[in-house]
Amino acid sequence: MMEHKLILDKVSKTFVDGEKRVSVIEDMTLKVNEGEFVAVVGPSGSGKSTFLSLAGALLAPTSGRTFVGGHELSQLSESGLNRIRLEKLGFVFQSSNLIPYLTVIDQLILVSELSGKEREDAKSKAKKMIKRLGLSHRINHYPEQLSGGERQRVAIARAWMNDPELILADEPTASLDSERGKEVVQMLADEVKLRGKAAVMVTHDQRMLDLCDRILYMEDGRFVKEKNQMNEAH
Amino acid sequence: MFLALREFKHAKVRYLLISLIMILIAWLVLFVSGLANGLSSDNASSIKTMKPEYLVLQKEADQRINRSALDDDLAADIREFTQRHDTESALLSIYMATLTKPGTSKKLDAAYFGIEVPGLLQPEITEGKMFTNESVDEIVVDQSIKNEGFSLGDRIIDETSGKKLKIIGFTKNQSFSHSPVIHMNMKTLLSVKNENTIHAIALKGDKNTAKQVEKNFSGIETVSKSQALKGIPGYQEEQGSLLMMIVFLFVIAAFVLAVFFYVITIQKINQFGVLKAIGAKTGYLAKNIIFQVMFLSSVSLLISIALTFTASFVLPDHFPFDLSPFLIVICSLLFLTVALLGSFLSLFKVAKVDAIDAIGRAV
Ligand SMILES: Nc1ncnc2c1ncn2[C@@H]1O[C@H](COP(=O)(O)OP(=O)(O)OP(=O)(O)O)[C@@H](O)[C@H]1O
Ligand SMILES: [Mg+2]
Repeated sequence: MMEHKLILDKVSKTFVDGEKRVSVIEDMTLKVNEGEFVAVVGPSGSGKSTFLSLAGALLAPTSGRTFVGGHELSQLSESGLNRIRLEKLGFVFQSSNLIPYLTVIDQLILVSELSGKEREDAKSKAKKMIKRLGLSHRINHYPEQLSGGERQRVAIARAWMNDPELILADEPTASLDSERGKEVVQMLADEVKLRGKAAVMVTHDQRMLDLCDRILYMEDGRFVKEKNQMNEAH
Repeated sequence: MFLALREFKHAKVRYLLISLIMILIAWLVLFVSGLANGLSSDNASSIKTMKPEYLVLQKEADQRINRSALDDDLAADIREFTQRHDTESALLSIYMATLTKPGTSKKLDAAYFGIEVPGLLQPEITEGKMFTNESVDEIVVDQSIKNEGFSLGDRIIDETSGKKLKIIGFTKNQSFSHSPVIHMNMKTLLSVKNENTIHAIALKGDKNTAKQVEKNFSGIETVSKSQALKGIPGYQEEQGSLLMMIVFLFVIAAFVLAVFFYVITIQKINQFGVLKAIGAKTGYLAKNIIFQVMFLSSVSLLISIALTFTASFVLPDHFPFDLSPFLIVICSLLFLTVALLGSFLSLFKVAKVDAIDAIGRAV
């Protein structure tokens, strides 16, 4: 049980749109293990982002249970969910979604700041992370001065900053060319293996899939096919 | 205030511009407040700064000193009554007059205050000496008359009676209805005006004594100093319109800040979503916004206070401007309160932002 970083147990999500009820996620069950890097692919509108929002405590399910790092989300208050997002989860959004007025290092320090950690510790940790992602020469730059790939790497660094159990990434490579994209995903995979964490990545990009341990194919709110692949890192 | 300060640094121009507007508004607030206070003193400092707290006026006078007239016998009875109750009182006659300087045709308006010496209403002498109850045709005048070219020992002619009055002393900050006050004893007043109706009796006592007097005599009314001030011709209109300006300025300040921060907040909705998605609490974001508003307002206030003082030094001496530290503190507190109110709209908006907005569906 504890090795499961993420568990979805018969989760459904229905949106009420006027008089229509749209069922976007139906009876979805999923377990993600420690050290596992899962890819989710599927056509547009199949519910991938919605699934990620449910897993990330951004959206409450209509029915079913979600566990993140052993905590059941429906049992938590708003501030409890806040803490889960802050301490257990790391998000990488489709567009990197950095804060425009923070420098690269401050983007990372902010995360520690939010959890009330020591500023100096955060600084040295952020510096290490930035170095590992090859951004040391950009440390005091603002997002507008970075390329798309660099921004995405900063977003990944930010997601790792609080040592989360689980990284959720929604098309992190959408705005990158395939070489840059591959670099970013490789980094994600390496971090998962290195730290014994887990990651779920939604992607359209077939070329990214061979870096993942498991591929889930999604259609109309369900996983229709699953493919395990041996990864060289194992 | 990690976010607030970094945002200031990154968007300097934007925040400098709003500060500039706030500085101008705060400056205007302080300036108009100082002007209102200055005009009020200029208008009626003799009433405003006199020692007694209450005035006995004729009931039909509608709380206006210049319309009040107390019968001599009634006045004597009231004085006797107050003496029995250990309350000091003083008679006051007020007449407006026009004066000229001997040898010239230049005219000068003034208010005659007929008083008793020694007495409650005796002004402080800054130069020369005070007249006595027996002296004839001797006066003490407000310092501003000096600017018209008068000095101690000079004579000044009352236009209606043609009498010459001798200046034997100067007083400070004595004005009534925007005119300098000339103090004289009742005898002198009688000789220039051919009458010396008692217009008011000043009482040095608390509210209770004032009530007592009112209860024991018919045809009179005791009013407080501030009520009497309002009864001076033009006083209320003047103060009222300035007060209205000040109130409007506060409202404008609140709206400018509210709109500015609201627009900025709307612009940043997505950002707030991201911040919430990575674990920022609404309280944390609210604190940053409040810090920004308070910081901008305080800095703007400090600069505008400095500007106001600079302006007051540059202004000519006789310009009716008077800003006390007390008034500055009051204005500043009000200004900050209003700024805080202005930020509530944004706080409300931020509280409603959902972490899911970070996903970017809310485009
Ligand atoms: N708040 C909502 N209200 C109503 N319908 C919604 C809402 N959010 C999502 N949907 C619907 O749910 C379906 C799945 O949306 P979702 O964003 O999860 O798709 P997706 O798989 O991420 O697509 P894409 O690949 O284009 O990003 C869509 O048909 C969408 O219209
Ligand atoms: Mg999507």
